[in-house]
Formats: sequence, structure tokens, C-alpha cells
Amino acid sequence: MSEVEGTIGIEAGIVTLEDLRREGRLPPPEVLERGVALPIIDCLEDIPCTPCRDVCPTGAITMKTMINRPEINWDACTGCTLCAQACPGLAINIVNYHFGRRSLRRPGYEDYALVMLPYELTPIPKRGEVVMVFDRAGRQLGEAEVFSVMKSPKFGTVMVGVLVPQSIAFEVKGVEVKRRWPGRR
Amino acid sequence: MGESMQDRRIWEHPVLSWDRGTPLSISYDGRSVTAYPNETVAAALYAAGVLAFTRSSYLHRPRGPFCMIGKCSQCMMRVDGVPHVRTCILPVEDGMVIESEDPHDSEYPTPARELRVERQELSYDLAIIGAGPAGLSAALAAAPSGMRIAVLDQSPYPGGQLVKQTHKFFGTKESFAGTRGVDIARNLISMLREYPNVELHTTTQVIGYYPPEGVLIAARAEGVGRYKLMYIRAGRYLVATGAMERTLAFPGNDLPGVMGAGAAQTLMNVFGIKPADDVLIIGAGNVGVIVAYQARQAGINVRAVIDILPKTAAYLVHAAKIRRLRIPIFLEHTIKGAYGDGAVESAVIYQVDRSFRPIEGTEKELKVDGVWMAVGLSPSVELLSKMGARIKFVPELGGYVPYRTKYMETSVRGVYVAGDASGIEEASTAMMEGKIAGLSAAISAGRGTDAMAEERRKAIEWLDLFRESPDYRRIKEGVSKVLIQEAA
Repeated sequence: MSEVEGTIGIEAGIVTLEDLRREGRLPPPEVLERGVALPIIDCLEDIPCTPCRDVCPTGAITMKTMINRPEINWDACTGCTLCAQACPGLAINIVNYHFGRRSLRRPGYEDYALVMLPYELTPIPKRGEVVMVFDRAGRQLGEAEVFSVMKSPKFGTVMVGVLVPQSIAFEVKGVEVKRRWPGRR
Repeated sequence: MGESMQDRRIWEHPVLSWDRGTPLSISYDGRSVTAYPNETVAAALYAAGVLAFTRSSYLHRPRGPFCMIGKCSQCMMRVDGVPHVRTCILPVEDGMVIESEDPHDSEYPTPARELRVERQELSYDLAIIGAGPAGLSAALAAAPSGMRIAVLDQSPYPGGQLVKQTHKFFGTKESFAGTRGVDIARNLISMLREYPNVELHTTTQVIGYYPPEGVLIAARAEGVGRYKLMYIRAGRYLVATGAMERTLAFPGNDLPGVMGAGAAQTLMNVFGIKPADDVLIIGAGNVGVIVAYQARQAGINVRAVIDILPKTAAYLVHAAKIRRLRIPIFLEHTIKGAYGDGAVESAVIYQVDRSFRPIEGTEKELKVDGVWMAVGLSPSVELLSKMGARIKFVPELGGYVPYRTKYMETSVRGVYVAGDASGIEEASTAMMEGKIAGLSAAISAGRGTDAMAEERRKAIEWLDLFRESPDYRRIKEGVSKVLIQEAA
């Protein structure tokens, strides 16, 4: 794993899985068993922002008032991905944890998850391309195959779906196309 | 320094595209420079690699643009023989002759060419100064009343800072949440153009206000050295002049390449020009981290974002967006200096202790050709002050701000304020304040309707709730210090 340059910690913008767990943002195992895609919402502050709640067709995302952070009702979520496309902070990933075993059915991919990430950079990855995946601190977790690329005109944010081992499904937060790796000294 | 001919224009971007049209040619100190019709002179020169625009008065040090929105004076050049022209707000014309000037030597105020000034007497029901989020929203809110409205802005394009924002906005439906700033500007402008009773004057700079008659004088530039002097008498005035970026004191802070984050945004996002290839950003608040992200979108390498405080003041989600892209944030760090021969070539940062004193031995040198300042803004209240509005220094609001009622009327009857000029906050609240001020101007003129009063009540309620949010409570506190209680 590459080293992190700069200050570590949530004060400097780096959220950890522990932070997410504490806020109830990681789906419990029985919810994962349902086999649907689920949003991982890295929005841990009370900020005046409501698009994820407003766009949710089932009311699974709620807020006390417009200035409070989102709360998720796992049982009501259908994994439609609209919240991830609408979130102005690009803070929501969609994780389909059992995608390999239940949907993909490709030999050797039984323990793979499909993670969909909002993406607003160039170039846009292509389906089948191998991209680099990163965690919340920018550490490279490895490489992954792009399984899906989706952009709805309504939201204008590209969702890049990558196949990653379940072990890092909740850690993946960024993707980057390999040919564009910037030279960093 | 080497001002080699180059093209710093961006041709690939994930969010923005620039309709550049057919290139034209301008001359800069005797050489030919390619420009595009929608560019300003400063933008075109920057695209060609010109970094030093003028010189300081006493030490004759090279200076480059700091604000790119017509507020600083570091982009002044001689254009077609006219000295001291703000090139950042001057649209290019084919064949223009640009010369760098040393203000110390120039024969100001006698231009080499005759100025043509035409005087115009105008009257409106409402004159709005500033076509940013606050001014546009105010005009839009007041427009249905049928009032005759003029919106004046010194920039060649309306939209203020909205047009530079590639990210979707926070907030709620009422504040266009989920829409990118650049798209909000486009929507507001196109809605406004539906109203025949609203005039939008760009490249129009307000240069004075003369009590007691209350005449506002604005100079509308119609090419170099050609002005229309507008003598405006309006029933009501609404000042939405925005803010000015602050700078920091450090060795080399005047080197070309050191600029406000907003100036970098103007170049990158309005004109599609790379201000630098490698940058250091000072200030890890919302502006700093958002600009860092925009820089990456523009293909610029952000070497570091630094902040002297132990915690970023930015929204966590904005800061998180750059950390996962491996853009480092160094907290408790500040800049020691920027260095280079004629322009920035490197910068040194170091760590500070709890009393903000530099810690020896922590220096880091960064090879950068840009240093962008995101260290806060000061409200632009000069005009309000001139108009007689009572002003007070309120740290929570970013500096000197006017007293105002909850309807955004200042201490001068019939003069309203909205947006950053009333206190540094953000575009969403600027739009809401603009709406409140615009509606109030109409209502107080007896041109309001019950629906408008209801709309205003809702907007005030929205703003109130928004400011209950932890990041905005200090704004609420600041506003309470300059709130004029309405007489019953």
C-alpha cells in the first residue's frame, strides 16, 4: 500500500471505515445477505443538503430537518443508485456485495463485489478496462475491471462500476484510469 | 522567465466545454497572440504564457493578475494607446494592440487616443448593482412586479462566481441543490431574459453615487476608450457587489503566478485556460478544496493544499473528494515564501506550532508554478458606504458589512443589500438573500402581491433554518450584530 502524503484523519478529510461503522453507515451482514445493491453514504456532518433524500423513491433516506445528516433505513432501500448520482458531494458509493456469486456467475469471481462510484473526471473509463482503485486516503488498493459505466442525462454524474474482492468492497472510494496516472515527484 | 509562445488552453474537461469560435489576433508588445472571441485580453495573454502584466510603482517588480474579476489593478495594461486598462474585464477585439506598462513611466491621465464619452440620463424603478447569484435572484424575484429594472455588472459576462463552479450545489430544491453552479447561472440568466422590463448591462462599472439627489453613475464600456456614462436615478437600489479575495503576507506574494483562488477559477473554468501546471493552494476551507478538485478536473497537478488551522473548515465531503485523489492536505502548515525569477518557480511550506509559529526543520520545497490563495474574502461595501449605509466590522461576516433589516434593507431607506456584500457566506444563501431583497424592493414600492409576500416569508424561514446548521451558526450571530429591528 502506498503511503499517504499530508495530514491523516477526519479533520483533514480522510474518513475511515471505523467512522462509517460508528455512524451506522455500513450495512449489517443480514442486510448484505439480501443481495441488493446498497448505498454507503460518507456524509457524516450536519450540513444543509437534501438531494439524496429528495430523490429516494422509497423514502429509505431520511433527515430530521434539511440541516441534518442523512439516515438510512436499510430495509426500504432497493439499491436504485439515484442517491449516489444525485449527491452533490460525490459522497455515496453503491456496493453490491454478493454480485459475484449471485449475479455475475463468472468462475473465480464468487467472492467479488460490484462497487459503483460517482466520477467527474476525464477520461471516462471504458467497460472491460482495468483501472486503479483507491481508498479514502488515496492509497492504491489494487486494480479492478470496469464492469459498468452509466451516465444519466438527468444527473450528469458518471457511475463507474468496478469488480473488486469483497474484502475491499467498503474501502474502495476512488478510481483512476491507468493511462492518465499523473507523474508525482 | 521565458515567455515562450504556448497554448495553455484546456481542450478536454469532464463538465465544461468552451464555445471558442473563430480565432482572432491581437498584438502584445509587438508580437502576435491568438485569442478567441469570448475571451478577455488578460485571459488570451495568459493562454499565450504571459504572466507579468504590469510593474509595481516603486520597486518596479513584475506583477500578474490577482483577482481576474476587475477588482485588483494588477492586470492593467495599455490597450490601443489607452493606459491603465483593466485587461481582465476587457473583451478582446481583432487587431487590438496591447502593451505592458510601467505605471511609473506612463503619462496617465493623457491617453494617446481621444476618449469618447457619451452621457445618458436613465431612470428605473430598481437598479441592481452586481449580476452574481444575489443580484440575478433579486432581479428575478422583483421582475414579475413589472418594475423597470436595470442590472449592472462590470464583468463582460453575467453570473458572478456561479459561472466558475463545476460542482453540484448543496442545499434544497428551493436553492437549486443538485445543480452545478455554472448551470444555475445559465438558468437564472435565461429566465431573466424572458422579462422585457429587465435590462442586463455587462461591462458596466458603477463609478459613483451622488447624494442628495441620489444619482448613480455607471460607465458602460463599449470598446477601448469608448464609454457610455449612465446617470441613473432609481426608486430603489440593490447592492450585490460580492466580495474581494484576501491575500497573505509572505516573501514573493506578488510574484506573477500567485493569485486568488477565484482568479484561478476564472481562468480555468470561465475561459478554459490552465493558470499553472503544478500548484500549491493556501487555505483548506471550502474554496481551497473545491478549487483543488476543479484543478484536477482541468488537468492541473495540485501538489498540496495547506491550512494553518488544525482542522479543515471545509465540508467533509468536499475535503474527502480530494484526499481520495491523492491531493494532500497539510494542516498546521503555512507558506514560508514563493520564489522564482520573474514568476513563481517554487514555494516552501513549513509546519506551525499551536501558536502558529513556524517549526524549524519542517520546511518542504514544492516545485510549483502557481500559488493560489483561498484565505478568505472581504465584503465589497465601498458603494454602500458611499451611499451612506451604516457599516460595522463584524468578524463572523468577514469584515465591514452594512446594517440591514430582515428584509435586507440597509439603514438608508430604499437601498437594499444581498449576497457576500452583506457578509461572506455562500452562493445558496446569496440567492436566497437576493430573493428576499428583490421581493422587498417590489413590496415596498407598492408593486408586490400576496403571493410575493408569502414567497418572502418562506425565503426568510428557509434562510433561518439553513443558518441553524453548525457551519452557519456564526453567520446567524454575525447577522444579529447588524440587524435593524423593524419599527412596528
